[in-house]
Amino acid sequence: MPARGKNKSAAPMVQSGSALFSALKSKWNESLAWSRKQPGASRETRGLDLEDQNWASALHTLIDPLLAIRRRILTNTFLAGWMKLWTWILAGIIVAGALSPKLKWALILAGALLVIGAIAVAIVAWRARPSAYEAARRLDSAAGLHDRISTAIHLASIENPDGMILRQRQDAVQRAARVSPQILFPIRMPDAARRAIVIGMAAASLLVYRIHYKPPIAALLRSTARSQLVQSILSPIVHAMEKDLQRTMALMKTKPDSQNDKARPGQSDTAPDDLWKASDDPASKSEDGQQNSQEANAADQMQDQPPSSMQSGQGESKPGDSEQQQEGGQQSQQSSNGSQRMSGDAQQEQSQSQSADNKQSLSQALMQALKNMLSNSQSQQASNQGNQKQPNSPGMPQSGNSRQPGSGEGDKKGDSRGSSDAQQKATQNSSSGAGSQQGSKELKKDQVSNPVNAVPDRVALESNGFKEQTRVRMDAGTGTAQLPVRDVVPQAVAVTNGAEQENIPARYRWYIQHYFEHPEGGQK
Amino acid sequence: MTGSVRMEGQTGGKPLGQQAESLAEKMQEVRAEISKAIVGQGEVVDGVLIALLAGGHVLLEGAPGLGKTMLVRTLAQAVALKYSRIQFTPDLMPADVIGTAVVQENGDGRKSLGFQPGPIFANLLLADEINRATPKTQSALLEAMQEKQVTVAHTSHQLEEPFFVMATQNPLEMEGTYPLPEAQLDRFLFKLRVPFPGREDLHDILDRTTQGAATAVVPVVNGAQIMEMRQVVRTVPVAPHVQEYVVKLVLATHPEGRENVLASKYIRYGSSPRGAQTLILGGKVRALLDGRFNVSLEDVRALLLPALRHRIILNFEAQADGRTTDDLLDEIAGKINKN
Repeated sequence: MPARGKNKSAAPMVQSGSALFSALKSKWNESLAWSRKQPGASRETRGLDLEDQNWASALHTLIDPLLAIRRRILTNTFLAGWMKLWTWILAGIIVAGALSPKLKWALILAGALLVIGAIAVAIVAWRARPSAYEAARRLDSAAGLHDRISTAIHLASIENPDGMILRQRQDAVQRAARVSPQILFPIRMPDAARRAIVIGMAAASLLVYRIHYKPPIAALLRSTARSQLVQSILSPIVHAMEKDLQRTMALMKTKPDSQNDKARPGQSDTAPDDLWKASDDPASKSEDGQQNSQEANAADQMQDQPPSSMQSGQGESKPGDSEQQQEGGQQSQQSSNGSQRMSGDAQQEQSQSQSADNKQSLSQALMQALKNMLSNSQSQQASNQGNQKQPNSPGMPQSGNSRQPGSGEGDKKGDSRGSSDAQQKATQNSSSGAGSQQGSKELKKDQVSNPVNAVPDRVALESNGFKEQTRVRMDAGTGTAQLPVRDVVPQAVAVTNGAEQENIPARYRWYIQHYFEHPEGGQK
Repeated sequence: MTGSVRMEGQTGGKPLGQQAESLAEKMQEVRAEISKAIVGQGEVVDGVLIALLAGGHVLLEGAPGLGKTMLVRTLAQAVALKYSRIQFTPDLMPADVIGTAVVQENGDGRKSLGFQPGPIFANLLLADEINRATPKTQSALLEAMQEKQVTVAHTSHQLEEPFFVMATQNPLEMEGTYPLPEAQLDRFLFKLRVPFPGREDLHDILDRTTQGAATAVVPVVNGAQIMEMRQVVRTVPVAPHVQEYVVKLVLATHPEGRENVLASKYIRYGSSPRGAQTLILGGKVRALLDGRFNVSLEDVRALLLPALRHRIILNFEAQADGRTTDDLLDEIAGKINKN
C-alpha cells in the first residue's frame, strides 16, 4: 500500500513534468508559427516556402525575383535591428564612461552584448523572414501589379492548370519579368544609422577623454555640490530644518517640567513670568521649563489647569507694558502684591548676561529676542500714543522697562515691592516705570485721554473662549480699572492688597509672541 | 479560396482564358455603343456593365434630366435584350407589374383563367421612379429580383435570363414617395449616383441632342453571351488577402464590433453578407474589364461605395452631424489595414 501510494504520488509528478514539457513545446511552436504568420494568408499559402516548394514549372521565373526580394528584406531587417542594438550599446558605453571609473569591464561587456545581440537579431530576422506569399504581396504593392504575383503564388500548387488560372499565371509571369527587385527593394541604410554614427562619435570622444581624465559626470557632481548656487539654495532649507529640530528638542525637553508644574500648582506662579525672563537662577530655570511647556501646549494646557494655578499666576510680575504701569500708577499698586517678583528689565539684563555665560538654548535665545522686540515696540507705541492715558488692566502687573531697586529681593523673597513701587513713582514723576529710563515715556496729565481700541500687548486676564484678537476698551480712571472684556470672569482670588491681577491665558500669550514676530500683521 | 481553384476549364466551347479576353473586348464595344448616346458618366456606365455581368441589379439615383432613363434604354439597345419600362406611381398595383390572371376564351369557346404576364417579364426592366409606388407594389419586385420568378395565383412563373432590373429614383422630390425598404435595397447590387455632367460633357450633350438626328445604337452582345460572361466572371481567382480585406470591410460597418468606433457611433445597421458577395463579384468583373485575371485590392476599394452605400443604415446622430454613408465608408476603408 505504501508503495502504491508512492507510485500514486510519483505519477502525477511525472505526468506534470511531461505535461509541462509538452506545454512549453507547444508554446514554442506557437511562437514560431506566430512569427511566421502572415495576415490574410490562408493555411496553404502560409506553408509555402521558396526553397522547399515544388513550384509549377511556369512559375520558376517568379521564384528568382521573390528570392532576391526576400534576401533584401531580410538584410534590411537585420541592419535595422542591429543598428538599434548598436545605438543602445553605444549609449551604454557613454553612460559607463561618464560615471564608472572602471571602463575596461564596461567595454568588454559592450563587446559581448554586441556579438550576442547581432546573433539574436539575425535569428529573429530569419524567423520573421517573409514567406513567398508575403514577398509576392510586397512585390505587388511596390510594383503596382494589382495582386497578380500573390494570386499566382497562391495558386502555385496547381499543376497543369487550364482556363483562368493558366491565364492568370501567364499574366503574372509576364508582369514579374518587367520588375526589378534591386530597384524596388534596395538595401538601405537604416534610419537609426545617423543617430548611431553621432552616438558612436560621442562615445569615441569620451573614451579618448577617459584615457587622461576621470569620469566627467562624477567630477561634475562633486563640483556642483560645492557651488555657491547650490549652497544658497540648500542653506536656508538646512537652517530651517535645524531650527525646527532644535525647537522640537526644546519642547521635548521641557515637557516633563510642565507636567510637574501641573502636579504642583503652587510652583507654577512663576511660569508666565518665565516667558519673558531668561534668568539663570535656579528658580527662573525651573520656570523656563514651565514657560516652554505652556508655549507648546498653548491654551489646552491652560484650560486643563486648575483655577488655583491660574489664579496663583495672577500675582506674578510680568514684563511688557511699562506705559500701562506708569500711567496707571494707582492701578499698578494693585499689582504690587507680594507674589510679584521683579520687573522685566532687570530680568532682561540678568538673562542676557547669564545667557552669554551659560550658553542658553535656542529657545531661550528666541525668547530673549522676542523680549527685545517687545521693549522696542513698547517704546514705539509710547511715542506714538503720546500722553494718552492707557488704563491699566487690573491684576496685570506689568513691569516693563522699569527698574526697581528691590526687584531682586522680591524675586527671592516672593514679596517684593516690585512694580507697585515703580508705579507709584511713575505717577509722581510721570516717568514710565520710574526706573532708570526717565523721560522716555512721559505722561501728560492735562491731556484728555480718549478711549482707544487698543490691542494690549499683554492682558493679564483670563479669558476663556477667545478665538479672535481681543479688543479692550479701557477708560483711564484713578484707582479703578474697567475692563469691558467679553468672557472675562473676575476672579476674587486675584485681589490682593487692593490690586487685581490676572493671569495671561496661554492662547493669548501665543498671540503676543506672534504679534511681535509679525508686527505688521499684528497691528491690523 | 479552394473553390476558385476548382473551376471549369471552359464554358461554351472556348477556353476560359479566351472567353475572358473576349469578354473584355465585348464590354469595350458595349461601352462604346453606350457612349454614342450617353455623354460622360463613365463610372455609371461601368457600374451598370459590372452589375449586368455580375448578375445583379442597379439602383440609379440622380436628379431629373441626367440621362438615367436614356442610359437604360441605350443599354438595352446595345445588348439586344428585351426591354420593358414601368413608371412607378402611387396607384400602381402589383398586378400591374407582375401580371394577373384573366379570363381567356379558347378556340372552342370555352373560357378559362389564363396568366397575363406583366411588364416584369423582360430581360431589362426599367423601374422608373421606383420610390413613388407604394411599398406593396415595390415588394412585388422582391421575388423577381432575387429568385428570378414571380408567383401569381399559386403559380410560379420563371423570368427569362438575363433578368436585369434598373431602378431610378429622384433624391430631390421626396414628397409623396415611399422610401424603399431595406430588404428591397439589399437586392440591388449597386446603388449608383448619377452626377451632374461637367462643362465639356455638357457641351457635348448640347451638340449631340440639338443638331441633326440621334445616333443609332447597334447591338453588340446578346443575352446568351451575357450569360456566358457571367459564368466566366465567376472563375476569376481571388487571393486570400483580398478576400480577407472584403470581410474586414463588411465587418467594419457593423456597430456591434468593439473596434468599430465609427460604426458604433453613426451606423445603426451594417452591411449584409450580400455586400461582401457584391464586392467579390463586382471585383471579378472589374478585373476582367481591366484586362486582369485576378481580383485586386484596388478593385474592392473602387466598388466599396456603390456596393455598400445602400446597405448600411445611419442612426440619428449621423444625420444630426450631417454624415453621409459615403463619408463613413471612406473613413472605414481608410482605417482598415489592407494587409
